[in-house]
Amino acid sequence: MAFDRLLNVARKEFSDHITSRRFIIILALLLVISTISIYEGIGQYNDSLESYTEQLQQMQEIEDPYSSWMPQKPSIMYVFISMMSYMTMLGGILAIAIGFDLVSKEKETRSLKSLLSHPVYRDEIINGKALGGVAALGFAMALALAIAIAMLLVFSVVPTVDEFAAILIFGAVSLGFLLAYFAVALTMSTVAKESGNALIYTLVIFFAVSSLLPMFGMMAASAFAGDPPEPPEMGPMPKEIVRTASSGGYYTTSVSQDVVYGGTEDPAWRAYEEEMKTYVEKRRFISDVSNLLSPQMNYFTVAMAVTNPQIMAMVYSPYDTAPEETPGLAGALGRVWMNIAALIVFPSVFFAATYVKFMRMDIR
Amino acid sequence: MIRTENLTKVYNGKAAVDGLDLEVGEGDIFGFLGPNGAGKSTTILMLTGMIEPTGGRCLVDGIEVAKDPLKVKEIIGYLPEDVGFYGNMTGEENLDYFARFYGMDARKRKERIAELLELVHLDGVAQKAGEYSRGMKQRLGLAQALINDPKVLFLDEPTANLDPEGVREYRELVLALAGEGKTVFVSSHILSEVRAVCRTVGLLAKGKLVAQGTLDEVARTLAPSDGDAVRIVVETREHLPALEDPEIVAVERNGNRAVFLAKTDIRDRLAASLFSQGVHVREMRIEEPDIEDVFMAIYRR
Repeated sequence: MAFDRLLNVARKEFSDHITSRRFIIILALLLVISTISIYEGIGQYNDSLESYTEQLQQMQEIEDPYSSWMPQKPSIMYVFISMMSYMTMLGGILAIAIGFDLVSKEKETRSLKSLLSHPVYRDEIINGKALGGVAALGFAMALALAIAIAMLLVFSVVPTVDEFAAILIFGAVSLGFLLAYFAVALTMSTVAKESGNALIYTLVIFFAVSSLLPMFGMMAASAFAGDPPEPPEMGPMPKEIVRTASSGGYYTTSVSQDVVYGGTEDPAWRAYEEEMKTYVEKRRFISDVSNLLSPQMNYFTVAMAVTNPQIMAMVYSPYDTAPEETPGLAGALGRVWMNIAALIVFPSVFFAATYVKFMRMDIR
Repeated sequence: MIRTENLTKVYNGKAAVDGLDLEVGEGDIFGFLGPNGAGKSTTILMLTGMIEPTGGRCLVDGIEVAKDPLKVKEIIGYLPEDVGFYGNMTGEENLDYFARFYGMDARKRKERIAELLELVHLDGVAQKAGEYSRGMKQRLGLAQALINDPKVLFLDEPTANLDPEGVREYRELVLALAGEGKTVFVSSHILSEVRAVCRTVGLLAKGKLVAQGTLDEVARTLAPSDGDAVRIVVETREHLPALEDPEIVAVERNGNRAVFLAKTDIRDRLAASLFSQGVHVREMRIEEPDIEDVFMAIYRR
């Protein structure tokens, strides 16, 4: 019976969401942009595939037994990389739009008092509201993925089982990101007396964790890591290696220094290289810890691991010239386990705060 | 049916309800009177299991509300003051949502909702509750309070938004519900409203129960004290002569009219005395304390 009551609330909330003008407009926008970017992504994928086939043919013609280089087969997951950028913006807005007035509106219209006069516990109401919101966001995400897969099939791009699994994981990670902002909006809706204030508070948090926090992370990294080590005065010149991975409006740049040895190994340079490595890792650790509080950064990191494991491997191993083998999905996800955990912890903390506040709320 | 024992609710160090002891019998229509801010709504929120008391306890049909609020909610109906609904749903959909919490099957829900909408004259209204007038919302509120056919009905300022016809229908409905054996608890600051339907009343002021009983009992209890004296109003056609009686304590004269303050009811003796003096009596009655004045005095405290 208790579950029936919770489901009753969740069913009503889900129905309210998917029939609300606000949800329909933002979802439609999300789907249209998604469709266009998937279409473009498929075009790029086909071009890459064509180039890959040509390279393979050339290699067969050359028949060089000493060449260890092999062209890399493009993955259809590249198609989903562009999804990340609008998911962090439009998806975030969608999540905020369905959550910011879930409780405050009930206070404003006094429907909460009517609801609470019937046999239902407060925790069933707030859990039902959360469940209804999660279901609505899940529905939106499922719709976006279904359209993407349908388009792949229409253009005769058939995902393998591994790729299909990666698509599902990408969907789950994206949903996790949406839940982060839904949870923030729901908390603010419970804390604020008016929906307008709840929206403002939510947007402030949204911009703080998406823009300010990464900036603070960089500043903290500079402040705590100190100055980079000085290279030895004599010896071979260091060569800067700059790797840039770009995707959907995001750019990750890892800068490292490698040393060109003149045939002999200089102990001073080896020591310098070790110091530099420690310095860069220290900076990255501080920055990464700070970024764990940002759902955008966590989403970006995890989604990149799913859609483009090789770039993630390069980002995480700046001192290796290139990973010899393309890392598997499980390996890539293993590297970003802290970001996955953060994507789970972030909404959980806000849901818990909402629960506590709602249970103690004065309903006079 | 309803009992409170030393019921107390404190907000920010201030007692909104202070040691309330109240008893309402089964089938009674009880009027809970008091000025705004007296603690009436807070008391109702505790009785309906929506907030927990700071001290004391309250029982509805023998069930302690704070210990088993859900069980209490299953047997009560509550019409909150300024009732609200989901504006994106019709009246029928709102009622259906609430009815589902009682485990009613689809057929039963449909029948009950149709019956209630007809009762409150909202049958056939297709517009969303967000477009309802305040009076319509109040009537829908009454329907939602009755969705589970409750044993006890709590109504908080039930006629606040109703037009005269709505008020008349509401009064008929309350009397009919009491006729079915339901207990009705009406909270209001409007004396005339309570007077029209309630059999017993309780007067609350600053969180404390000032008096409880029938309206006359409460008025007598709260009237300015003359000890056990009786006020007898006399009006004659001719000049009112001086009347002698050992029971008379004081006389306020005004031409042919006078108010005698007597130790007992001496109307028979006064009538005989006036008759023997050939004076025609136009009016002779015991003056009851004016209930409006008594309540206003409490409200102004």
